[in-house]
Amino acid sequence: MNGLFQYVPGNSPLHRMNPVTKILLTLSVCIAAFLTDNLFVLLFLLVFDLMIGVAAGAARKAFSIFKGLFKVSLFLFVLQVLFIRRGNRLFWIVTDEGLLTAAAVVLRLLVVCLPLALILTVTQVSDIANAMVQVLHVPYAYAFTLTTAIRFIPQFMEEMGGIMESQTARGVEFDSKNVFKKLGMLFPLCAPLLISSVRRTGATATAAEVRGFNLRTRESGYKRYGFGLVDLAAVLISAALIVGAVLIP
Amino acid sequence: MICAEQVSYSYSGGGQTVSDLSFRIEKGEFVAILGENGAGKTTTVKLIDGLLRPTSGRMLVNGLDTAKTRVSERAKQVGFLFQNPDRQICKNTVREEIAFGLRAVWGKQEEEKIRARTDELLALFSFRGDEEPFSLSRGQRQQVALASTLAVKPAVLILDEPTTGLDYRECTRIMEFIKTLNETEGTTVVMVCHDMEVVLDYARRALVMAGGRLLADGPVHEIFRDTALMEKASLLPPQIVQIAGRLGGDYAHADDAETLSGLIAAAAERRRA
Ligand SMILES: Nc1ncnc2c1ncn2[C@@H]1O[C@H](COP(=O)(O)OP(=O)(O)O)[C@@H](O)[C@H]1O
Ligand SMILES: [Mg+2]
Repeated sequence: MNGLFQYVPGNSPLHRMNPVTKILLTLSVCIAAFLTDNLFVLLFLLVFDLMIGVAAGAARKAFSIFKGLFKVSLFLFVLQVLFIRRGNRLFWIVTDEGLLTAAAVVLRLLVVCLPLALILTVTQVSDIANAMVQVLHVPYAYAFTLTTAIRFIPQFMEEMGGIMESQTARGVEFDSKNVFKKLGMLFPLCAPLLISSVRRTGATATAAEVRGFNLRTRESGYKRYGFGLVDLAAVLISAALIVGAVLIP
Repeated sequence: MICAEQVSYSYSGGGQTVSDLSFRIEKGEFVAILGENGAGKTTTVKLIDGLLRPTSGRMLVNGLDTAKTRVSERAKQVGFLFQNPDRQICKNTVREEIAFGLRAVWGKQEEEKIRARTDELLALFSFRGDEEPFSLSRGQRQQVALASTLAVKPAVLILDEPTTGLDYRECTRIMEFIKTLNETEGTTVVMVCHDMEVVLDYARRALVMAGGRLLADGPVHEIFRDTALMEKASLLPPQIVQIAGRLGGDYAHADDAETLSGLIAAAAERRRA
């Protein structure tokens, strides 16, 4: 989980692409996934995701994310199949429409999650923020919020691990099978996590302010984010994806 | 009480963090684990507590294999005070906080016993029961954490850098509590500590670690006197031991003194004899 949002340096076309284009491409894949109900289109999008992963030189990672999501997907699939009553009954309580909808939901989940994780593999978070400020004229404060949120994920996980360890040491059984007991354990986890987060927020705010956070504007960035041929290609592909999703029934 | 038999441990995705540790700690001992950052001290004490399970070898606490003991069972035996009390404190009042640890170990049926024990600890640490832990100072929060760790009367108490970030008075107060506990109740104490003066004052035996291995194991004074060993482990002995070593002669033999005047007096004593 720790490596999931980690930037991996490289020089693939995806690395060189303008961060804004990458966001556009990601969003287009997501929008296309939600516009279509066609299983083949969804399947195509999934293959497209994986191909992007390969192009980014992160094939291993793309597949490991895929594997990680698989368990959740399976659970979702079974749930959907059991609860959708419409359509013709195939066997037991399973209907054809249930199967199709469940497959669509699961595919959609995979299609949407993959590029969101991949974009962070090929782009530094600070680049995303700076490009948003420069190109999209997003106020720096909002871009900063985004980067900090993403940057704190590993720290958050570490803190969580430490808290669980501390609570385990005093006899709280996180590995208990009892669901009610498990719910009761949420509290000793959440309270310290909340407090430490609030403390950290304060510290971060001070650190940012000390470095002239308020003086920062759109012109402050040193790095420029240009548009090139790869970006043009990506924009065209994005458009094609959405148009395809709308046109193919 | 604690018996490590060729214990090794590697974190997932890394090399061996501690290798081939073997030691015995008897009931009532006060042991310090020394070593530079990354030497594997924290890993070792977590292995003793059963928070980590040996990748190879066996760790026995009170005759029970930590790999086979349940969390609640183990928490009755071993108390663990972490460096950061804020990861532990999760209740709104000091009273609730102390009772929380007791409930986790004794079960909810023992409400009477829990209340009595909580009162005892509040008095012992002179806390007000209705105080909010998060508005206390860092040192006081560490004391709250210590109180709730001690509440279940563990036979073994593990301390991982318990005094880091505390001022001298807070540090002394916590260490005095632990010393009393060790002397009156016979609680076995295993302490990781970077403050060599504290080690000299309180611990009687030291285990020295470097690179995940046990370098030495012996009485604190002998360990500190061994300059080659201290250098190898990148440690600096306490001032008083350094001074005694520099002065040499009668002083070098009197370096178990805890203060400078004690050192001088002991050296004078030797010279007279
Ligand atoms: N959760 C972990 N995952 C991977 N490696 C770790 C973890 N915790 C500690 N280590 C590694 O194990 C080594 C020993 O760590 P530790 O036992 O914390 O040392 P010490 O407490 O003596 O400073 C260090 O090199 C550290 O990087
Ligand atoms: Mg440590």
